Amino acid sequence: MSSAIKSSKISLQKWGGKVKIINLAMANIRKSKSATFSLFIFILVAALLLNIGLMVITQINTFFESKAEQLKDPHAIIMMDYANYHSSYGEFITKYPGVTESETEEMIRMNMAKFNFGNSELSTNVIIFNADTKRSIGPLNLIEKLNTYSSHDIFVPYSFKTNGGYQLGDHFTITYQDKEYEYRIGGFFETTMMGTNNMGVMKFMLPEPSYLKLADELSTQSEGLVISAILDDQTQSSTLKNNFFKEFHQSIEVNANIWGLDIEQVKSVTTLTINLLATILVAFAIIIVLVSLIVIKFRVANSIEDGVENIGVLKAIGYTSRQILSSMILQFIFIALCGSVIGIALSYVLMSFFGSIISTLSGLIWTQTFGLMANLISIFFVTLAVLIVTLLSAFRVKKILPVAALRGGIQTHNFRKNRVPLEKARGGLHFLLAIKSTLANAKQNMMILFIIIALTFASVFSAVSYYNIASDKTAFVDLFGVEPANVYVIIKPDVDIRELLSHIEQMEYVRKVNLLDKIQTKIDGQIVYTNVTNHYDRLENNIVYEGRQPKYENEISISWVVSNQINKGIGDTVEVEFENETASFLVTGISQLIHHSGQVAALTLEGIQQLQTNYKGFTLNVYLDGISNKDFIKNVQEQYGDYLVGTVDIDENIESETSMYTDAVFAVLLTVLAITVLVVVMILYLVIKTMIIKRKKEFGVMKAIGYSTMQLMHQIAISFLPVIITGVTIGGALGYFFTNPVLAVLLSSAGVKRLDFTIHLPTVLLLCIGILLLGYLVSMLVSLKIKKITVHSLMTE
Amino acid sequence: MTKAIIKTEKLCKTFSSAGIQQHVLKNLDICLLEEDFTIIMGSSGSGKSTLLYAMSGMDKPTLGTIDFAGENLAKLNNDQLAVFRRNHCGFVFQQIYLLDNMSVLDNVLASGLLVNKNKREVEEKAKELLNQVGIGENAWSKFPTQLSGGEAQRVGIVRALINSPKLLFADEPTGALNSAASTSVLDVFTDVNRNGQSIVMVTHDMKTALRGNRILYLRDGVICGDLQLGTYSEKDNVERHKKLKNFLAEMGW
Repeated sequence: MSSAIKSSKISLQKWGGKVKIINLAMANIRKSKSATFSLFIFILVAALLLNIGLMVITQINTFFESKAEQLKDPHAIIMMDYANYHSSYGEFITKYPGVTESETEEMIRMNMAKFNFGNSELSTNVIIFNADTKRSIGPLNLIEKLNTYSSHDIFVPYSFKTNGGYQLGDHFTITYQDKEYEYRIGGFFETTMMGTNNMGVMKFMLPEPSYLKLADELSTQSEGLVISAILDDQTQSSTLKNNFFKEFHQSIEVNANIWGLDIEQVKSVTTLTINLLATILVAFAIIIVLVSLIVIKFRVANSIEDGVENIGVLKAIGYTSRQILSSMILQFIFIALCGSVIGIALSYVLMSFFGSIISTLSGLIWTQTFGLMANLISIFFVTLAVLIVTLLSAFRVKKILPVAALRGGIQTHNFRKNRVPLEKARGGLHFLLAIKSTLANAKQNMMILFIIIALTFASVFSAVSYYNIASDKTAFVDLFGVEPANVYVIIKPDVDIRELLSHIEQMEYVRKVNLLDKIQTKIDGQIVYTNVTNHYDRLENNIVYEGRQPKYENEISISWVVSNQINKGIGDTVEVEFENETASFLVTGISQLIHHSGQVAALTLEGIQQLQTNYKGFTLNVYLDGISNKDFIKNVQEQYGDYLVGTVDIDENIESETSMYTDAVFAVLLTVLAITVLVVVMILYLVIKTMIIKRKKEFGVMKAIGYSTMQLMHQIAISFLPVIITGVTIGGALGYFFTNPVLAVLLSSAGVKRLDFTIHLPTVLLLCIGILLLGYLVSMLVSLKIKKITVHSLMTE
Repeated sequence: MTKAIIKTEKLCKTFSSAGIQQHVLKNLDICLLEEDFTIIMGSSGSGKSTLLYAMSGMDKPTLGTIDFAGENLAKLNNDQLAVFRRNHCGFVFQQIYLLDNMSVLDNVLASGLLVNKNKREVEEKAKELLNQVGIGENAWSKFPTQLSGGEAQRVGIVRALINSPKLLFADEPTGALNSAASTSVLDVFTDVNRNGQSIVMVTHDMKTALRGNRILYLRDGVICGDLQLGTYSEKDNVERHKKLKNFLAEMGW
């Protein structure tokens, strides 16, 4: 009985202790409402961004895989010209271990068809299927369609709506072999394979009558077959594809039109940009969490210094250090939990916006699911970080003795040195007083310094990303391995390419003309897209990041992907097969690029001539200056049309291929900039408001002796300038020097080994000046608060 | 004939809080003269400090006019008042209110350089005044927390005098000091007044009030007594004390 009473007494005491701690924590929150609110907003924004980023990173692969399953899309496809088909191909796929279903279907193949996509013209390979064929793999899954039927209807992937700018019923023209084929958009379908323009091939579907009509109109060379397969484990799709080409590499002719796609490869290309954007969001969320932690550290230190007498009183009346410490921890954990839970709830609202970006980039309708794991990680990460920092910052409460605290507390200022004495220092009075204030608040200014550095870096990083991906795309396009010429012309086989090259070079507004072919070769048994030119030093995109491009006829450069596949590097010899001839080449360089899944090599013209002595080349890259691409194409067609197979507007192609990134990167840039502005405003608001409260008497005295409100406002604003200037300078310099290395790390999983984004110093400077002006303006506006307070009240309240 | 330095007409000050109005100053007509050392006395809550702050442009009256050096302070905005204060007023506070992140010299210069941009002139004057009030060179680089109360208040007086104000306002300047420190501070006030400096001081201490030549007694926001005490002299201190005591007794103090 007595033990029961004793234990209930103890539990009541414990409960009483908890209530006291809660009361103390709530009192602290009530005392600093605006600071609590600012911190709450930071944590909310951090949790929101972190959760979006984590949900996307953790769900995107599952999303893509379940879409493939839901749509019953193939995990691997092998496409070929009808003439190249052999029955053993289908048998191999059907009997391949793990293949649960396979299907062979006819299709129409258009090699480099042109059509409008977004605001420009896209040249790409097109595969057209018969929409009315009964198929079990990749059935037509229209998500939007017209109610009326027309014989000119065409069904196109959903990306044509999200990214291509098309609506149901719109007119759609495909130009192929100089002939235009007119259609009406009859519906949009979802597909994971060939649904976007980032794989170099897109698929359309035509109703049977139109399909047959088109097949009749085109030559038999356009007839093709697709072997599709579904595996029980889709991660094996790359192995299936590679094994297929290994199995038949002897029988497949080098220049045969046969190529494959696997779901893993498509997934990694499709999700690349999405993952990159999500990673930027996570990185930025971590920056804001760091900002919040710095604010917490500052607030804890301040509350101990300012409230040391209160702490003394609490200790004197019997509160233990642990209770006081717990109240501080509880205060910040409460804010962190509220902020992160509400931030996570809000992230589900904002995910619809990010979901539309995902739809734009993937051509698939994003369906949001509940990401419990991401949510828990976000809450746990934010709360744990807050707990650790609060604990470390507040730990010194334990060392405060009640008597010492009551007798005036901790010495908060160091008065041993009169910094910037007015009688000796040079400069205006207000400037000198501002500098005094800066130096007197060193700890607080260190906090602002770190925050400004982080925010400036994030802003420069986003601005550089935006400039290079959405504005001047040269460096971004370089990553793909595209040579930044303006137009390329394909020459008929019987034409003397050297003579035509010199003729085109003589044309008005032509800056330069290069021979640059892309052919298929086999390197140590692997089918590789191989560039051929006579002068690599005349090209403007050097994709080799280690070693150099070939100079002599026995040299070759290979991409790091090929290097990994064949396990060879610089200094090794590889066997190159072309047109049934084989020769050995010395690897002189390793290149990087994203196109063609990175399966690229480069030979000199003399090099390829070792394999085919009469090889002359067939593609001329034309670099223009002072003329539009369209006008040049018109001129070259008029003058040399008889010698040409076709022309391609490279700029428009690039514009079309990269337009999907523009909106996404712009959205992320806007988010980063908006949050930068928000954090700068809130941090300065928080600091200046606290400063005015702390120095109320000082400002009152200064007003009493004749300082005007404007003079005091300028003093406050100027006192923050040194720290803001230092912050933007360091942050700007870090952004200037480290944006490329950081981006390279972020993109390394996509095969980027070296990155050389353009960083305009004037743009960086403008951004830094913008943040500086914002800081000054906010300081002035927040310190306007002084105006409303009378001198009398400033001193006496 | 001595000129008026401040003239108030129907000066009113009302504080409102939670719908309740408190009329602290009621239709005050006051005239303070140049070179006078005017003392404002009264019981707690009579409106002494409110009157001082209103006359000095630190607070705005609710109604009425304050004519100070040709300006009606009631019509000036906050920034104009700040400029007026720096050019024409000096302040000495009970809590002293030195800026504790500045040295003694910097505290004075921070006020002086506001009006006179010539650093050397201001610095020389500051040092001269500090010497005059007994703050030697060894204390100039000290911080306010390193001074005694009396020393700090004397620095406060120097800060108030650095711009040669037309009128020196003092709000119970010895209220927080011990007896010896009070005497040294009051001696400074007496000295500067003898040199022609007009002073108006709020106090509830008889010993302090004896330094003035005119005593105004405030009760419930109204001037109910005005005593001419004559220029301070230690010789007739007993006589002055008796006169003041009778006056205050008459006022019901």
